[in-house]
Amino acid sequence: MPRYRIEFRKEGPARFISHLDLVRTLERAMRRAGLPLAFSQGFNPHPRFSLGAPLPVGVKGEKEYLDLELVAVLPVDEMLKRLNDQLPLGLKVTRVWRIPDDAPALMATIEKATYRVDVSLAREITQEDLQKSIDGLLAAPEIIITRRTGENREKVLDIRPGIYALSGRLEDGRARLEMSLAVGSRGNVRPEEVVRVLADKFGLPAEDEQPGVVRTGLYPAEPE
Amino acid sequence: MVELEQVLHRVQKPARYTGGEWNVIHKEWDKTAVKVAFAFPDVYEVGMSHLGLQILYHVVNSRRDALMERTFAPWVDMEGVMRRRGLPLFTLESHRPVGDFDILAFTLQYEMTFTNILNMLDLAGIPLRSDQRGPEHPLVIAGGPCAFNPEPLASFIDLFVIGEGEEVFQELLDLYLELGGHRAGRRRFLHRAAGIAGIYVPSLYRVDYRPGGILAGIEPVTGGVPPKVIKRVIRDFDRVPFPVKPLVPFLGVVHDRGMLEVQRGCTRGCRFCQAGVIYRPVREKSPATLLRQAEEIVKHTGYDELSLVSLSTADYSRVQEVVRSMLDRFGGMGVSVSLPSLRVDAFSVALAREVQRVRRASLTFAPEAGTQRLRDVINKGVTEENLMEAVSAAFAAGWPAIKLYFMIGLPTEEEEDLQGIADLARRVLARGRELGVPRNRLRVTVSVSSFVPKSHTPFQWEPQVELEELYRRQRTLRGQLKEKGLVFHWHEAETSFLEAVLARGDRRLDRVLEEAWRLGCRFDGWSECFDFAKWQKAFRTTGLDPAWYAYRRYAYDDLLPWDHIDAGVSRDFLIREHRRAMEGKTTPDCRTGKCPGCGLCPTLEIEPEVLDRAEGVSG
Repeated sequence: MPRYRIEFRKEGPARFISHLDLVRTLERAMRRAGLPLAFSQGFNPHPRFSLGAPLPVGVKGEKEYLDLELVAVLPVDEMLKRLNDQLPLGLKVTRVWRIPDDAPALMATIEKATYRVDVSLAREITQEDLQKSIDGLLAAPEIIITRRTGENREKVLDIRPGIYALSGRLEDGRARLEMSLAVGSRGNVRPEEVVRVLADKFGLPAEDEQPGVVRTGLYPAEPE
Repeated sequence: MVELEQVLHRVQKPARYTGGEWNVIHKEWDKTAVKVAFAFPDVYEVGMSHLGLQILYHVVNSRRDALMERTFAPWVDMEGVMRRRGLPLFTLESHRPVGDFDILAFTLQYEMTFTNILNMLDLAGIPLRSDQRGPEHPLVIAGGPCAFNPEPLASFIDLFVIGEGEEVFQELLDLYLELGGHRAGRRRFLHRAAGIAGIYVPSLYRVDYRPGGILAGIEPVTGGVPPKVIKRVIRDFDRVPFPVKPLVPFLGVVHDRGMLEVQRGCTRGCRFCQAGVIYRPVREKSPATLLRQAEEIVKHTGYDELSLVSLSTADYSRVQEVVRSMLDRFGGMGVSVSLPSLRVDAFSVALAREVQRVRRASLTFAPEAGTQRLRDVINKGVTEENLMEAVSAAFAAGWPAIKLYFMIGLPTEEEEDLQGIADLARRVLARGRELGVPRNRLRVTVSVSSFVPKSHTPFQWEPQVELEELYRRQRTLRGQLKEKGLVFHWHEAETSFLEAVLARGDRRLDRVLEEAWRLGCRFDGWSECFDFAKWQKAFRTTGLDPAWYAYRRYAYDDLLPWDHIDAGVSRDFLIREHRRAMEGKTTPDCRTGKCPGCGLCPTLEIEPEVLDRAEGVSG
């Protein structure tokens, strides 16, 4: 059965749709679009599609991906148009292409995500100050943080191996950071955690509020 | 809204507050003459499961000169952030403050949401009491089942809509436009509105009390105001506007599926049931209309499940034919059909079996009482044989688990009726074993709530059983239901007690509600928020005795707090039914053709709209 990879954006009000709710929302849009969906077997048949790494609630996604299986071939332009006619505000398909029937699953291939993070600053700093914070973090052999993993559970872990790249510049009095972080089977590092570490340990005077986070892309791991 | 965005990062389930769902309607604010905010005084997931919201949203937004947006009670975390940041209650569509709207319309589905209404008014910056509002404030209106005893809320609501809203809402909007809005003159508008059938303006009635607190009179204070407000009902129900492009939420809401109303009203006449009275007479839609609407709903929503909703869908005359047509039409598209409530009989199980190719975990039946004597008292019209047939059919068809709903504290309940509940549950369990349901999967869940006397029912005069005694009966049952395969659930009795107070209460309870809210009561229907001690304190502070409202037997010749609200069913009928209950005599279902004489049809000049089982509408 033909398989397609779909690239889409998630922004505006749709940023606040959780991963689970996104699955339901996409499923309904695909039904309304009248796509020749392939259904899973079993008690509760669902259209066969899978999403790439979950996007945290509130984060804008510029290049998100899903793989979809159909029972009949459909021109990719038509699929793009039919889906976009049925997607709620903030979700938009930007590209559709056919992938080989035996292509590996999306989730299995994605191991890196890039982010653009805007951090409000409590006081004015220079580009040199910002660079010093970043260099400090990158020079650290390990970065131990505590992550909440449930109601009353916490996990202590080293996120340094999952920070692949970090750079930044000042813009309109805010720090705009570009990050490349681990995602998927090799572990996850969250951009807010990197900001917190920059603030707590490397002197970045970040305001205590939610930074504006955009996930700019998802990528397969680079060969080591 | 930059401010809202920062707020949303700090709360659970931010999609409760964003809007933007599929089929949402955004209208141009400046070009629309009258703006209505529909307020559901509970959390988003509950409100978005409510068909009435979808219906009124459709009705109002179908007009060119009006718009309706939605607002819900913010959950406690969101309320905290909003208060800290001074963010007022806003609507999901335009994110505008609710205070900017012309009309704020609450729906009253449940007494335990009343403190949320006060909290939402406060968050919106609107004075709680009607008499403190001026031209700068929206008109605050309310409707829904709890409006049939509006008195506890009478000080907070400018006008109530009694009965079905589809038509009267239009008339209200027309009047609003004709008079140039309430801002041109609140008193004049309310006075004119009181002349619309089904509109109750509490400030235009004076309530007098006898020494001791029983009502002496409820009278209009001025001309042009009816002494009795008669409920509104829709005629020609087959042609009533119905939302075939409903809002499709992102969040998993309580009822996350397409809803199609197959009929309104229920003819069974259970004597404890208020819905059975206030939605009379029964009116069925035609199969052709239902199929057309089903088709549209599936096309416009993408739902994979369509629920045929009503108070008792198995009673719909053409249910089998409609279910089969829908399965034929949608089966191939992976869209299933569901029935929300089952009658206690084999026919219902056969229907459920037809629609559920997949055996869900359990089937639910509501025998309501444990003995035939008590089931006759409440006119439930279900025998033990019906139940055993139903559960046998269910076990045979592969359902391993059964849920049984009962009420305790029903009028005339004795020890043997409690025993009867336990006996029935054990018999059902035994039947499951006989029919070879695997022991590790076989389960019978007994769910017990406490009887709450409701206005406009034959049991409106009945006292509620006292709290201590309810606890004792719960303990008795718990003791008797300790057996492998039996599970016992019970409803908080304190909640039922407050429900009874508010359901049977009068206007003086306004002070209790306000005090309870000031003490921090919110989301009283949620066990994690409910705080009985605060309510007790509110009663003490205001000097009102809740027991006087819940535990007192009202006399037939007492003037009741809701006697000026007419549900169409005569007082004589309710008295007759109450007497028959005490004699253990049943009354036939009006669908059988034997009219029990409730008086509704002549009063409202309407007739039941019931289809012939084979074809067409019968007169």
